[in-house]
Amino acid sequence: MNDAPRDTRPRAHLERASDAAGDVLRLTGSWRLAGLEAIDTELRALQLPARLTVDASQLAELDSAAALALLSHLPPGVKWRGLAANDTRIIEQVRSRIEGVPDLPPHRRESAFEAIGRRANGIARMGHGHLAFLGAAVLGIVGTILRPRRLRVRELSAQFEQVCLNAIPVVALVTLLIGVVVTYLLGLQAKQYGANIFVVDGIGIGATREFAPIIVAIIVAGRSGAAFTAQLGSMRMTEETDAIQTLGLSPLDVLVLPRVIALMIAMPLLVFIGDVMSLLGGMLIAEPMLDITPTTFLERLRDALDIKHVYVGLSKAPVFALAIAVIGCHLGMTVERDTRAVGMATTSTVVQSIVSVILLDAAFAIFYQELGI
Amino acid sequence: MAGDDAVIEVDRVVTRFGAQAVHDGVSFAVRRGTLVALIGGSGTGKSVLLREIIGLQRPTEGRIRLLGTDMWSSPPDALEAVRRRFGMMFQDGALFSSLTVAQNVAVPLIEHASVPPGLLEPLIRLRLAQAGLGPEVAGKMPSELSGGMRKRAAIARALALEPEVLFLDEPTSGLDPTTARGFDALVRSLVDDLGITVFLVTHDLDTLLTVVDRIIVLARGKVLADGPVREILAVDDPWIRSYFSVRATVDS
Repeated sequence: MNDAPRDTRPRAHLERASDAAGDVLRLTGSWRLAGLEAIDTELRALQLPARLTVDASQLAELDSAAALALLSHLPPGVKWRGLAANDTRIIEQVRSRIEGVPDLPPHRRESAFEAIGRRANGIARMGHGHLAFLGAAVLGIVGTILRPRRLRVRELSAQFEQVCLNAIPVVALVTLLIGVVVTYLLGLQAKQYGANIFVVDGIGIGATREFAPIIVAIIVAGRSGAAFTAQLGSMRMTEETDAIQTLGLSPLDVLVLPRVIALMIAMPLLVFIGDVMSLLGGMLIAEPMLDITPTTFLERLRDALDIKHVYVGLSKAPVFALAIAVIGCHLGMTVERDTRAVGMATTSTVVQSIVSVILLDAAFAIFYQELGI
Repeated sequence: MAGDDAVIEVDRVVTRFGAQAVHDGVSFAVRRGTLVALIGGSGTGKSVLLREIIGLQRPTEGRIRLLGTDMWSSPPDALEAVRRRFGMMFQDGALFSSLTVAQNVAVPLIEHASVPPGLLEPLIRLRLAQAGLGPEVAGKMPSELSGGMRKRAAIARALALEPEVLFLDEPTSGLDPTTARGFDALVRSLVDDLGITVFLVTHDLDTLLTVVDRIIVLARGKVLADGPVREILAVDDPWIRSYFSVRATVDS
């Protein structure tokens, strides 16, 4: 056999004839799936009488797809002659498999109205689930504080390494660059009014109060929130979470709380690193662009940046962390047992986490505004 | 080493993972239209050999020819052509989870065969029926199916292009005995009615003793025994004796 044996086979063909037996349809060549299109065209072109003999003595080969095409065009009472034993078996097999089998149920598309309703219902259920899960997580945290021995220290430290230590390089790099960019853009405007020194006020307050927490939260949502969903989701697929439950352990204690607590500790630390790095970025660009030396920059920063702005920024971090961890763990723990669902849940975690972080940040802005901080 | 009608030829295949040799010169050939089972203890590289035959994993040494094409030294288009001529059922079905059963079966038909539009649906229905599934499962997603139905749907997809050879990786594992025997009958009918060559890896003694034409036993990196079931049962080897003695105990 060579590389393309199909091409050397004789093409499927049929001929009409009449002989002593009446109308005859003579099949020749190789009747295979590969030539199905030609077979179908030829069969369609023929007007077949109800009484017909099919002569298969010249038939080289027949497969079940071609047999299906043939049977669906031939009248029911057809006579066969010259059919080889194995081809007879194929014809019989196909005939028995298609007889009396109803059509495939039509693929129903849902209307736009149905789709909106289904999605809205899904969102409402998910929101409800998030709140219930948040409640369970908070109760778990309170319980852990009251009874610290409940805490799984080893799992907690492993998670802390993942979500905090391993995240430092990317957080540091991104916030440094944001610091450079924001200072540069502020500087372009300030230079026109000779207000160079006020750039330090701008980057100081802006970075510590808003940029650093938000940027860090977005990185953490993409990094750790997605990882939580993927880890817990695949553990559910392999029934590990069920095994934990049957061993008399609580998946909440073993899997969820270490992640939530680790992230709530890690986030303020990461935001602090973000504060320092974005100010450093601002300082680096301030000298060549605005003639503000590092000494001047730091002196101005001491005067202009009230420490309360740093505290405001840091105070948001554990709340963002709680939201990201709860969304990530909840979607991971409730994922359906199929491979596609884990991917969709992970995407959903990132989107929901980022949206909720922005919403929470807006709520914080109003809250602190009203408090006059 | 084999006649013209050998569809699978495995010639002195050696497979090493690091220092560990899984296969140390495995040779056999499989004739067209037979149902052959590959057995062996855990870790004897049955699944690895299966993956090597269908071109998913490269053997360290040796030659493998499938339907006359060398799976490891042929140009890409020759491999492409041979891939349309065999079907493979993976252990857990490996159905595409984002597609319905009918769409799963349609994938190879749409990609590789020019099926006239009016015939596509009847053909999918035929494939499902050939795998023992009714049309009601056509619209279901793989996650909605039981293990046995998933395997049948996977067979239907493997049969889509009317393959000359069908590979099955543990077709009856995880199925209840009744379903498993139904599966055996299905596989046998593919060989007898459609003339397909079936090569399977299995641990199921019932499959081996009732429907298989020939058994190849892998042990210690080599083919330990190769022949019809009756001959394998008579081989005087401690591993083969203990493998089949489980059955004898149950029967007596």
